[in-house]
Amino acid sequence: MIPQLYSVRQIKQETHDTFTLELDPKDGTKTPSFEAGQFNMLYVFGVGEVPISISSDPTAPKYLMHTTREVGIVTKAMRKLKRGDMIGVRGPYGTHWPIEESAGSDIVIVAGGIGLAPLKPALCHLVARRENYGRVVLLYGTRSPNDILFQKELKQWRADFDLEVYVTVDRAIGSWRGNVGVVTTLIPKAPFDPLSSVALICGPEVMMRYTVQELVRRGVNHGKIHISMERNMKCGIGFCGHCQMEASFVCKDGPVFTYGALENIFGKREV
Amino acid sequence: MSEIITHAELRRLMDDWIARGGEVIGPAAVKPDLVQYARLESAGLMLSGYIHPANSIKEFFFPRSEILYRYKFTGKKIELSDVVNDPVKPMLIMGARPCDASMLPILDRVFNWDYKDNFYDKRRDAATVVTMACTEHDDACFCTSVGCGPAAEQGSDALLIRLGEDAFEVRCLTGKGRALFQGKTQPGERTAEIPPGPPLKFDADFVRKFTRDNFDNPIWGELTLRCAGCAACAYTCPTCHCFDIVDEGNAYGGARVKNWDCCQFSMFTQHASGHNPRSAQGQRQRQRLSHKFAIYPDKFGEILCTGCGNCGRICPVGLGVLTVLEEISNATPSLESVEPV
Repeated sequence: MIPQLYSVRQIKQETHDTFTLELDPKDGTKTPSFEAGQFNMLYVFGVGEVPISISSDPTAPKYLMHTTREVGIVTKAMRKLKRGDMIGVRGPYGTHWPIEESAGSDIVIVAGGIGLAPLKPALCHLVARRENYGRVVLLYGTRSPNDILFQKELKQWRADFDLEVYVTVDRAIGSWRGNVGVVTTLIPKAPFDPLSSVALICGPEVMMRYTVQELVRRGVNHGKIHISMERNMKCGIGFCGHCQMEASFVCKDGPVFTYGALENIFGKREV
Repeated sequence: MSEIITHAELRRLMDDWIARGGEVIGPAAVKPDLVQYARLESAGLMLSGYIHPANSIKEFFFPRSEILYRYKFTGKKIELSDVVNDPVKPMLIMGARPCDASMLPILDRVFNWDYKDNFYDKRRDAATVVTMACTEHDDACFCTSVGCGPAAEQGSDALLIRLGEDAFEVRCLTGKGRALFQGKTQPGERTAEIPPGPPLKFDADFVRKFTRDNFDNPIWGELTLRCAGCAACAYTCPTCHCFDIVDEGNAYGGARVKNWDCCQFSMFTQHASGHNPRSAQGQRQRQRLSHKFAIYPDKFGEILCTGCGNCGRICPVGLGVLTVLEEISNATPSLESVEPV
């Protein structure tokens, strides 16, 4: 359970309350490979350790990137780190998005808020192997236009890689002229073939619940809908019991589950 | 034909183990009226005539608090030092109740089902566990209802069964047990009688089905109105194994420390955002019971409970596994989804 030492290469402010931590392995070794959707346990020395999804490009892992929101004491301390500061990394842990397995299919990605961060490696992988997939649709909802993550990348994916990107916000402010409403309102009109689509969803649990309902309504197979769950975690390796959801450990059996696997408990309160 | 050891010879064996630099753990009166498994300085401190110590032998394999690694700050640099390979002393557990030793194969699976917990495994490798069959039981005991029993052999390296006033029959169950008692026993004509255990108190299959089918049953909330969420049940339980990892340090450095934790605490599942996926005490009780009787058995084939009764003995409001199950059984005639036994 001892972490590897990494040093902070850069901290990039993404939106008013989110940032990306870029990390290099301390001993000059190569950044370890990972699969899109996996997470690392990031340890701020003297403060605490938290599970954060990896948000770098798995096909070209130059350095490690983690995009997160400042929420608790650890992520707040993380935001204050400076270039060259040390951080502990354990991982990569957990299951991943079925990217290679889904070649030939349409891919529909539904993200809510910071939920786009764990999906970014999947998007990077898809654009790097764009020719292997059918239509790739990204439906992205945030609270307000100020909360839209990775704006540069979104524009680039849309323009250069034939990705259909639809963004909606809960509250339109300023000069916003796009969609207003929750992300599920985009699903009925989204251009994908439900019978040959693989869906990847990440966002708040309530958003994922309604997204699953809409996708099922359109006819997407339960086993082709993938959701990334979030739970309090301590060990990250299936011992400590914190992230247990009935029989599943979110750290080991997840964070990426098929909806089919969680059908009986997903959306149930107090699991 | 049986192998027999006298009390005097058994004490000598324990004192020899200590003299060679090993640790001996056994039931002892750590305070007036408090019997616990504890490190013994000499064999004479081991108690006889106890029913079940207030703790379990869990803490000698999975300590209440354990350093995972240390770190030191020097300027911007951080040095890590691993402690996982720090040696542990050979450990002899003497006089464990079979319901305690039964927890070992259960935790072996928990800490080795995928990743290996080297902290647990090194202690397990260093330990020889000698169990003592129960001659008595109290109202809290229910080992026979969960597939254990007064002379159960799971997790034990050697089982001692009382034979008259001054001796035990020794049944060596593993190589470790045979190595320990080699040359220490005499062959005898008599064999000890296996004492009867407590009567069957519930049907574990019924509990498994009940916890599966009654997720939203209001009985959970009603039962736990009096639960203090203190976790005494889990801390004295041989099989409860949840832990927290915390930071203990200062400006010069510190350590990451693993401490026992419990699913009955309200903060156990709480996210940094304040959102708590399992926010009600009743649901936490349901989780604990269904983990023991449905989730763990589904995954590993056995019940995550050995029937030691510690939870019932220690709970300040009388909510041990047994009392919860009794209250469920009393309430179930009105439920259609289960067939009470």
